Amino acid sequence: MIEIRDVTKIHQCGETEVRALQGVSCRFPGQTFSFILGPSGSGKSTLLYLMGALDSPSSGEIFVQNRSLSTLTQTERDTYRREKVGFVFQSFNLLKNLNALENVLAPYLPQGVTAEQKQRAEDLLKQVGLGQRITHRPNQLSGGEQQRVAIARALLKRPLLILADEPTGELDTKTGEEIFHCLRDMSEQYKTTVVIVTHDERYIRETDYILRLRDGKLAEANAAD
Amino acid sequence: MLKFALRNLLSRSLRSFLCLMGLTIAIAGMVGLFSIAGGLEETVSQTFGKISGIVAMQPGAPIPLFSRIPRSWGAEIEEIPGVSIVNSEIWSRVNIIEGKPVVSPPRFLFGTDLPTRLQLKKGIYRETIYEGRFLNLEDQGKLNTVISRQIAEQHQKQVGDQIEVNGQQMTIVGLYECGSILLDVAIILDIDVVRDITRFDPESVSCFYIEQSDDFKNDVIVKNIKDQFCDRELASWQPASLALANASQSNILKDFVDAIDQSLKGTSDQGAEKKQKSEKQSSSRKTPVVNAGNANTSEHPSALEVRAASDWGERLETFTADLDIFLGLMTGIGVLIAMLSIINTMLMSVMERIVDFGILKANGWSNRDVMLLITAESSLLGVTGGVLGCILGLGAIAIVNWKFASQVHLYASPGLLLFGVVFSTFLGIFGGLYPAWWTTRMTPIDAIRRG
Repeated sequence: MIEIRDVTKIHQCGETEVRALQGVSCRFPGQTFSFILGPSGSGKSTLLYLMGALDSPSSGEIFVQNRSLSTLTQTERDTYRREKVGFVFQSFNLLKNLNALENVLAPYLPQGVTAEQKQRAEDLLKQVGLGQRITHRPNQLSGGEQQRVAIARALLKRPLLILADEPTGELDTKTGEEIFHCLRDMSEQYKTTVVIVTHDERYIRETDYILRLRDGKLAEANAAD
Repeated sequence: MLKFALRNLLSRSLRSFLCLMGLTIAIAGMVGLFSIAGGLEETVSQTFGKISGIVAMQPGAPIPLFSRIPRSWGAEIEEIPGVSIVNSEIWSRVNIIEGKPVVSPPRFLFGTDLPTRLQLKKGIYRETIYEGRFLNLEDQGKLNTVISRQIAEQHQKQVGDQIEVNGQQMTIVGLYECGSILLDVAIILDIDVVRDITRFDPESVSCFYIEQSDDFKNDVIVKNIKDQFCDRELASWQPASLALANASQSNILKDFVDAIDQSLKGTSDQGAEKKQKSEKQSSSRKTPVVNAGNANTSEHPSALEVRAASDWGERLETFTADLDIFLGLMTGIGVLIAMLSIINTMLMSVMERIVDFGILKANGWSNRDVMLLITAESSLLGVTGGVLGCILGLGAIAIVNWKFASQVHLYASPGLLLFGVVFSTFLGIFGGLYPAWWTTRMTPIDAIRRG
């Protein structure tokens, strides 16, 4: 479902070129739980962001449902992010001026929120265990609760793909387990492909697909050809 | 979106408040400054709207106070078709009232020929008597006066009291109130009394107030009067400094002014010039007019400047238009500061929230959506600043009008207030555009990583 073909990403840091990814090729099957592993600076997050069209590769191509992200116009990229991809970040990245419900609905604010979307957002917050806290602002929620709001936000659009960058990086072990449990439940319930970048291999199951990067190159893959 | 924008502003309440204050004060300043011109225009329209007649005076004199014309010309004007009544007037500045020097607001001794004054169909002072009575024929030659209510209140006088003006004790027989700061400045007496007090030249008056017949239009009468006096010789009015310089041939100041005049004209034939002046002076002695300047009859074909009240209004409107330019420049400084304040506030706010915009973009917000949010925030500041600025400006105007009722009159028209709000809104929108554009230069991930 997601195919990465010979992708290279070079960051320019002043006069220095940093090769974050060097000719990575792999494939993530649909409706699976996948992990991208590797030490810091190996290019895990860069690959994740390229898959989410948050950035563009220096060379190579990424296909999602057989369509190359490189061919998308700016408007199509915005639409792709709004409708097909849900992001979960390490530091939750909620908008502090909005309450939990409004944060979940944030992607739809410019178009105007429909009653159906609002109802669905409330249902999702109940499903992640925050039914009683929908009017709470981020500073009134614990780290685990904030990450659940972020998961609900990612799921509201019924995405094909959820991309999570170190989702338990700022949480304690118990809360981290709860978040992974929540992500797996939602993935199964909504038949969504989930790709997670993490250092922590405790949450990996045998059935999960694993991609291991080292120095921007593919080191090991049971999901890649 | 607007609700979200409002919350963003409220979440940074101190910064938003300070920015709002900057904008509010700028708009209040703009309203206040333009209300000077507005007040002047309103005063002019209020004043001249009440005067239906025509005024004839010395060419170039800004107001009757500075005008001197032959008294005998009044009889000639009376003979001109369309002229119904000609009222002779003398105007002189009051220097001392009740032993106190008069500086601001100015006060004037107004001597009017009572027999003709009382024949006027419309007499502004006579019709606005507030208490007591207007002057009548029995007041001729007596120190009986009608004064404005403002002057009476300023000196705590009422009808029947004595008031000392320029060292003369006068009896107040009436109070008038026109409601215009240009008209409520007069101490009205019989013309001969004022002539005696001020030692006004017996053969001169300041001006003639002319009331027209019903079946004649103003412009026809104005033309008739001008035509009647086009072949007369009467020096144009000129500022006192020049008049003084011309008073003596051996005066150093006069010589200096002559020298400048010569150099400007580029002529070197001083002998011919002196001869010409000598001729002019001997000619001017034939008239009762003191002024003996370099009158150029080709520039002033008529020896009288004759204008209907509406013409004076138009002349002052031209002045207020010029004043508007000056006020606009002054306001521009405040507006520029306010705009920089908005840009600074929004730029700081945007830089602080760059991660938020990255998150919103990651969730599908387009650059346009982000720009809309930022300009919505800045335009909210603009609208609120505009409304508050207008309210503050109106408050300040009300206080100034109340505190200095007899000196100034400020007026902010609904159009000016509407302009203030609209202008402030545009200021807000444009102030937010640069910060908004700034956010669109970054990819979502650059924005998120910056946090």
